[in-house]
Amino acid sequence: MRLLVVEDDKALRESLVEQLKQAGFNVDAAADGEEGLYCGREYAIDLAIIDLGLPKLPGLELIRKLRGESKSYPILILTARDRWQDKVEGLQAGADDYVAKPFHFEELMARVQALLRRSGGWAQPVLKCGPVALDPRTQEVTVNDKKVELTSFEYRILEYLIHRAGEVISKTELTERLYAQDFDRDSNTIEVFIGRLRRKLDPDDTIKPIETLRGRGYRFALQRDAAT
Amino acid sequence: MQPQSLSTRLLASVSVLLILFFGITIFALDYVFRDLTTKAMRDRLEVQLISLITASEEDSSGGLRPSAQHVDATARFNTPGSGLYGEILRSDGYPSWRSISLTGTGLVFEAPAVIGGRHFGQLTNADGSNVLALSRRLEWQFDNGVTRSFVYSVAEDLGPYYAQLNNFRGQMFGWFGVLMLLLLGAIAVLVRRLLAPLRRVEREITAIETGEMTELGGGYPRELLGITTNLNTLLRGERERLARYRNTLGNLAHSFKTPLAVMRNLLGGDGARDLPIAKQLDEQVGRMDDIVKYQLKRAAASGSTGLGLAPVDVGQALEALRGALLKVYIERNLTCTLQVEPNALFFGDREDLTEIAGNLLDNAFKWARREIRLTVSRLTSPTARRDGLLMVFEDDGPGIPLAQRTHVLERGARLDERVSGQGIGLSVVRELIGLNGGTIAIDSSALGGARIEVRLPPT
Repeated sequence: MRLLVVEDDKALRESLVEQLKQAGFNVDAAADGEEGLYCGREYAIDLAIIDLGLPKLPGLELIRKLRGESKSYPILILTARDRWQDKVEGLQAGADDYVAKPFHFEELMARVQALLRRSGGWAQPVLKCGPVALDPRTQEVTVNDKKVELTSFEYRILEYLIHRAGEVISKTELTERLYAQDFDRDSNTIEVFIGRLRRKLDPDDTIKPIETLRGRGYRFALQRDAAT
Repeated sequence: MQPQSLSTRLLASVSVLLILFFGITIFALDYVFRDLTTKAMRDRLEVQLISLITASEEDSSGGLRPSAQHVDATARFNTPGSGLYGEILRSDGYPSWRSISLTGTGLVFEAPAVIGGRHFGQLTNADGSNVLALSRRLEWQFDNGVTRSFVYSVAEDLGPYYAQLNNFRGQMFGWFGVLMLLLLGAIAVLVRRLLAPLRRVEREITAIETGEMTELGGGYPRELLGITTNLNTLLRGERERLARYRNTLGNLAHSFKTPLAVMRNLLGGDGARDLPIAKQLDEQVGRMDDIVKYQLKRAAASGSTGLGLAPVDVGQALEALRGALLKVYIERNLTCTLQVEPNALFFGDREDLTEIAGNLLDNAFKWARREIRLTVSRLTSPTARRDGLLMVFEDDGPGIPLAQRTHVLERGARLDERVSGQGIGLSVVRELIGLNGGTIAIDSSALGGARIEVRLPPT
């Protein structure tokens, strides 16, 4: 999952980026509204965290511009004033939720997870597709209620695929979402990781969770559970 | 005592001036008229006297009398009560001739003492009417060479004179009266025209008070331009001051809370999370946040009368709030019914309304199980220019226990006694409502949860 953090305060930005990276996200950071607009436009991001009090281009304007360009990823706003007027305006401009400064990282994380989940069309905190269940909060994956040990990168690929279960995800998209900007994008590594994931989730080759569509990409093939 | 209106003052002063002016004019004209008329009468008497002298003839007894022709020609001498009288008096005081008209009048002419002397004056008849009399003493040389002095007198009734005077006065008063009414009418019209811009100011100020206008219009006469421009500057300045002030507060909040956010993040980070002091420090960050939040919200509260502010469309503002909260609480699957009486307006600052309703509605969303209901109705009063508002927030949550109801709203409750993030919303709400002249009450809702009633009375 690729996040964009737009925050002008260097210390807060860096500490946020650091913690989000530790939580397993691929994070882009921007220090002002214009840079944020550039990143929000150009990068394939899954969620943006935008501070309202930004230099050069105010957060509210940034959100309006992104939404005006049909960027539909969830946007979480950070507000210092904690005024209802700001929150209402931010949400009306197209943001999906807000967090008032100073926040606990856990609170921010919970909101981010919920927004990501919802953007993938999931209503429950645990993403379940038949025998496979993934809990983004604990980063635990189970198959038939048995825990599966995954490496951080394997987890991130699986999380992304399950989030968008049923959709075809191209290799390019996966690379974009999972690798940092300057990372060497060798599509073969993706194939290698998909192979490992298949073996770990489905050692007997019975449930076939990940489908390969030649020349188009991958799809998490298991049906989402009805109540989720 | 209420000062009189400008037009009443102006009309009263002008009326006094007009009465004074016309009074003097009438007096002067009357004087001149009487003077002229008296002179004319004297001239006429003079002519009568001279013609009487000229027509005089000696009689057998050594006296004088006017010729029969003259007396016949002047028929009024022969008619009693005709108003014209004549007499020739001998030096011994006996009349030499008296006109027939003198009979019964009891008139006694004043006789000048010296020869050539005259006497002109007013005499009173037996019946009380006045006459104007002219007497003259002269010497007459008879044909036989004897000289004797005689007093010639003529008099004329003042009745016609009075009639003329009365007629004149009547006409004069009539005309001046009409003139004065016309002038007063004209002045009243003029005053209305002159004061029209002032009435427009009054109208527009009422419109500003009721929020139909945000400032006075243009096109005022030069004399009022100073006032209207200054008033507009004041209104605009007030609005701008509030905006600037809030902007500053916003910057302050931003530059203060961001470091707090950094501290929180660092305290939650890898190096610090497990230190025993981290939790305490985090609590302190929470306290600082609470203090800043509370003070900033209080400071940002406008509580303004809304003068020069367009009234806030309550339905629209609350709908925006409802939409925002439904978005935030989307996972809770709550129903929020918003019922706003048409044309409900808030005569104050939009931010105050959003802050009050935002906090209360957010609370309802937080506690509700399924349903939230927000009902807004207008409070009207025949004596008030602006309607009030009654906003009722209801939810089906656990409600607020009776014992806590007064406590949660307590104004004086010390900040550091509060649990972080708790209650600040409500006490700010209470202060905001107070600043806007309203009251808040907590009750139980028919829905099962809390019922919070905000009453902003009409003003």
